[in-house]
Amino acid sequence: MTITAGTFTGDSRHAGAAPAVSFANVNKSFGAVRAVADLDLRLYPGETVALLGPNGAGKSTTLDLLLGLSRPDSGTVELFGATPQCALEKGLVGAMLQSGGLMEEVKVRELVRLACDLHPRAYPVDRVMEQAGITEIADRMVNKLSGGQEQRVRFALATAGANDLIVLDEPTTGMDVTSRQTFWGAMRRQADEGRAVLFATHYLEEADAIADRVIVLHRGRILADGSAAEIKAKAGARRVVFDLDGEIPEAALRTLPHLAGLEVSGRTVRIQSHDADATVHALYGLGLYPRNLEVAGLGLEQAFIAITDAATAGEAVSA
Amino acid sequence: MKTLVKLEITRTLRNKKFMFFSVLYPAALYLLIASGAKSDEKLGDTGLTFPVLYMVSMATFGAITAVLIGNAERIAKEREKGWVRQLRLTALPGRGYVTAKIASAAVVSLPGILVVFGIAAAVKGVRLEAWQWVSLTAVIWAGSCVFAALGVAIGYLATGDAVRPIVMIVYFGLAALGGLWMPSAVFPHWLQTITEYVPTHAYAGLGQAIERGDAPGARDVLLLVGYLALFSGAAAWLYRKDTHKA
Repeated sequence: MTITAGTFTGDSRHAGAAPAVSFANVNKSFGAVRAVADLDLRLYPGETVALLGPNGAGKSTTLDLLLGLSRPDSGTVELFGATPQCALEKGLVGAMLQSGGLMEEVKVRELVRLACDLHPRAYPVDRVMEQAGITEIADRMVNKLSGGQEQRVRFALATAGANDLIVLDEPTTGMDVTSRQTFWGAMRRQADEGRAVLFATHYLEEADAIADRVIVLHRGRILADGSAAEIKAKAGARRVVFDLDGEIPEAALRTLPHLAGLEVSGRTVRIQSHDADATVHALYGLGLYPRNLEVAGLGLEQAFIAITDAATAGEAVSA
Repeated sequence: MKTLVKLEITRTLRNKKFMFFSVLYPAALYLLIASGAKSDEKLGDTGLTFPVLYMVSMATFGAITAVLIGNAERIAKEREKGWVRQLRLTALPGRGYVTAKIASAAVVSLPGILVVFGIAAAVKGVRLEAWQWVSLTAVIWAGSCVFAALGVAIGYLATGDAVRPIVMIVYFGLAALGGLWMPSAVFPHWLQTITEYVPTHAYAGLGQAIERGDAPGARDVLLLVGYLALFSGAAAWLYRKDTHKA
């Protein structure tokens, strides 16, 4: 069973511009598992794009393919119109991998100096360290850092030079709230300079707050591709929750207008609606008397869960 | 790339435990093996005494230990931690990585060689011409690059727990077959034929030629250059091709 969700494409805004990243009909399987299936994707300079998906959705495989760390079974992956390898050698891409370790037995400054030395269009070492917020830990040994500090060092390695594309895999893992904000501030500046930024994240609120385009991956396919607002609208923008006394007329509830999802647990009914006002109005029209009625906006997180659940189950939203 | 070579050397020197072991181990082994040998006892038709022969064997063996095992295990560990993955996202060419690894291995093997020579001269009374000491050091040091490259290649070929057994088999196999433990003169004929093509045999042969007062054999040099090209080519190729994930 395949659920094909309509996609919002960001392409129309970029007619004529050369894409920074281009996936054309890309497939990658590991044994019987299709990690990435018929992936078509274009990212453009200046875009900040979030890659969202549950574990096993194909995010890491997508990033590996993009960076040339693995090769597609079929289809083509291009960065700035060339192979990933070629783009890396020209210093067009900076990447921060979740699985990217650091060299041990060296000091932070030595490692950053190495990254700058290897970059064809490097920035000064001090500037890179300052922007990554690691100036104070410059003389610390790399293997003695905390998780958040390690992440900032990785970020410094990814931004050692003038890249046109920055790829980040779960970049803020292990950072506290303040450093997370500082981090995204630095990232925003990169995007404002006309770079394409692509990041995978577990923190959905980050995608909501930072990305101007969100791509939802599920089982190796793109389920949704649009702004955070579009994704939310797609999943049903508002949530209506209420309790009912007596028998719950589920069949009647399903006839409510603008319904995007319905879930009954005990006395409580949870509804996702594209137009909460109309739905609630119709609810009273059914002659029902909802108690403890709440109408709230759906966060991207719920939207995301709703979209992936709908794709998994096809119909019923699990409790 | 110069920064990478420098950094690889720096961090190797910082690893005190590894340095200590790699430098003193061959000397200790030399004392152990050469302890029973009489200083004037000649071995077969080589015209060399046991202490001299074992000095070259152990310096050679020690250099191989340091560069082969050290490189293979450290690289396998780096791959596991994902550092190599990160490095592959830079503009660094494969040969740059291999060069840096060989250079850092050379830093460890040189003092090991010198300590064996020092002990052989001081304790076992080995006496050679000045040019012999200098060229022995140079030849054994240069030759260790072949095995450093092999170490890099093995570090890429094997993963995790498999590295140690594989590198040990290669290491002991090469040492024994090359005649580093027992002179190959005592091997049966068919084994001697194989030994002729083993890189460790050619490697030890360089040093033995100098001990006898000859220049290293052209065949040994060619064989080693061939192996160096093969191992470092394989290492560079494996580095670029590696898709192993942490």
